[in-house]
Amino acid sequence: MSYISFIFGQLVRNSRHGWTSQVMTLFTVSLSVLIFSFFFLIYINMQKASSRLGNELRLIVYLEQEVPEAFRQEFKKKITDFDKVDKIVFISREEAFERLTKQLGRDSDVLEDLDPSFLPYSVEIFPSSNLKSLTRIKDFSDYLVSLPGAVKVQYGQDWIERFGYFISLLRIIVILSGALLILTSVFMVSYTIRLTLESRQEELEILRFLGATDRYIRGPVIVEGFLLGLFGACSGLLSLFFLFQWIKNHFSGPAFMNLFELSFLPLANSATIFLISLLLCSSGSLISIRKYLKV
Amino acid sequence: MTSDIASPIDTSLIDIVKVTKTYPPDIMALDDVSMSVGHGEMVFLTGVSGAGKTTLLKLLCFLERPTMGLIEMNKKDISKLSGHDLQKMRQHIGVAYQDFRLLPKQTVYQNIALAMEVRYETPKDIKQRVLELLANLGLADKIHTPTGKLSRGEQQRVSIARACANKPPLILADEPTGNLDPAATALVMNLLKRLNEDGTTIIIATHDQSIYQKSDHRLINLENGKLQEIIKVNFDL
Repeated sequence: MSYISFIFGQLVRNSRHGWTSQVMTLFTVSLSVLIFSFFFLIYINMQKASSRLGNELRLIVYLEQEVPEAFRQEFKKKITDFDKVDKIVFISREEAFERLTKQLGRDSDVLEDLDPSFLPYSVEIFPSSNLKSLTRIKDFSDYLVSLPGAVKVQYGQDWIERFGYFISLLRIIVILSGALLILTSVFMVSYTIRLTLESRQEELEILRFLGATDRYIRGPVIVEGFLLGLFGACSGLLSLFFLFQWIKNHFSGPAFMNLFELSFLPLANSATIFLISLLLCSSGSLISIRKYLKV
Repeated sequence: MTSDIASPIDTSLIDIVKVTKTYPPDIMALDDVSMSVGHGEMVFLTGVSGAGKTTLLKLLCFLERPTMGLIEMNKKDISKLSGHDLQKMRQHIGVAYQDFRLLPKQTVYQNIALAMEVRYETPKDIKQRVLELLANLGLADKIHTPTGKLSRGEQQRVSIARACANKPPLILADEPTGNLDPAATALVMNLLKRLNEDGTTIIIATHDQSIYQKSDHRLINLENGKLQEIIKVNFDL
């Protein structure tokens, strides 16, 4: 009889004894994988959204007076002393007026009798865009307002701060759900294997008398933990995929899609979650074997 | 006094040298025992209850370790064998325990097959061997009966069948006929004799005079943990 067919025969025998605990464990592992990967999926999509928003982010520094051409290089250097930026654009009153007229569109006639001088001089700064810069944007803004001649800085503070907090909160949730995944996978699998071993205690003792090797006794138990991880991770990730498709089909209207271009977990991330689940469940079975199975 | 009983066969399978076994607090189960058993020998180990027969068998199948002394199997000191080597060696020793050690919820077939499964024998070979053993021991009709539902005599025969399943080079049988009627005793002894004729070394611990009285094989008597004397040596090998 080949070792593999023996292993599977033994697994079938084990599942006859303890199928209820195996099903419960499978369900728990699947649910843990689903919860973790669900939050991870949101986190990844939010990161993508923030990166895209970062590309469009700009800070406008309103000035008391125009920066003369001769001092513009020095002004730029003062800005870049704090943080790397992609682009700095000096905007005259006339250019600002022109932009305002464009923005108002059909209502631009309200500006007809006005002189551009009511608008302040400004500098438009496009910072290097990444999440880290987003979280540091407030410091950058405080620095810019302290520059000589600067009156006010605008960049959509409230919205960006809230978004930053949301991403931080998501990061914490991802870490917590990761911890949940670790705990449930290791402990539930370990507990199930323990039940299997306890239900077979008498048989294991006789097997030892009959000369069963470590490989004979431990092999099926390790494979049982591995399979619980395999099926748990597969069903968890498949459930996430179907959930994702359902959300995409039911909740993503055109406006929503413009803001968040939803995408599923990249293959590398899915594979990592899958492998980690396998590893955790196998570790759970190894812990039980070491603790409860003295060959 | 050191009792030393050598095997009349030159090549010994088992050598026991000055073995003592004590259990806490100070119960002396075996006292300075030396003996050897040759390849293909059948030996009867006799003595009253508590004489040390079961302890000696337990030492031979590595369920216990001697407190002092040396046990060699095929000239290998078994105390120096690694866990894996011991497991492998156990596969080559068939043991019929006094308390049977069967799985009561599993069938007769499953209990016997277990001994062959640990050696990864094919299902076909297992089936063939189990059927053959059950026919020899008069248990063919009980093949699918859980052993918990058998009489003690039937359980004893299942235990013997399991010990013989792998055709091991050494069989240790502890009171193999203790619960059997004369007819079943004859079946068991015939099976053991046939295996012995095929070259299997067999050590039988027993009270049952009927199984060794007419036998030509060596008889070793234990008394209070000591080897006393060879009551009968009438080899016809």
